[in-house]
Amino acid sequence: MVDKLTTDIGGDSAGPVPQEDRDQLFWEKQMIAAFNLLQVKGVVVTDEFRRTVEEMPADYYANSTFYGRRLDGMVRLLIEKGVIDADTIEARTREILESGTRDHV
Amino acid sequence: MSEAEPSYAVGDRVRILDIGKPGHVRTPTYIRHKVGTIERFCGMFENPEDKAYGRWGLPPIPLYRVQLKQDDIWPDYDGAPGDVLEIEIYDHWLAPAGETT
Repeated sequence: MVDKLTTDIGGDSAGPVPQEDRDQLFWEKQMIAAFNLLQVKGVVVTDEFRRTVEEMPADYYANSTFYGRRLDGMVRLLIEKGVIDADTIEARTREILESGTRDHV
Repeated sequence: MSEAEPSYAVGDRVRILDIGKPGHVRTPTYIRHKVGTIERFCGMFENPEDKAYGRWGLPPIPLYRVQLKQDDIWPDYDGAPGDVLEIEIYDHWLAPAGETT
């Protein structure tokens, strides 16, 4: 018997599902567009992305968001495949955080 | 590379296996060891268990939609008696219902 995947929660006891209505942020739209383009170009496939989510530590997964997981998985796959390197993304992230974005000024 | 052929026909009774495979799989644990009926053959698909790790997932493998009674899945199911669940399962996760796992 192999350990259950983090995402394999069917039948587990759970509380009510929180419902939240809010607009999509600019970075979320951009990120989904980038992810879709990477799929169309054959750089990443859905199954690989799902695998990255399943590999997240359980507590990290439990506190993650839909867009956060998508971003984390995409970055991880791009590093894994040698498309970008971790230092470059780290430096660029810092740059963006310091200069502000449409979502975070 | 030879393609696998569908091994089941619509209406066949099948048991969903627990093949103990680590990593990315598409058969949730709650459905393993349960018995259902082949509702349709969905087609041949590249194996997602391989595609998740950058491989091509070839040759394509048969995928079926399996129908199970909710009563057979959840011992304390309190919905309508005829309720069913349909789930798509790859060929290598199935065995004829007569065979034990």
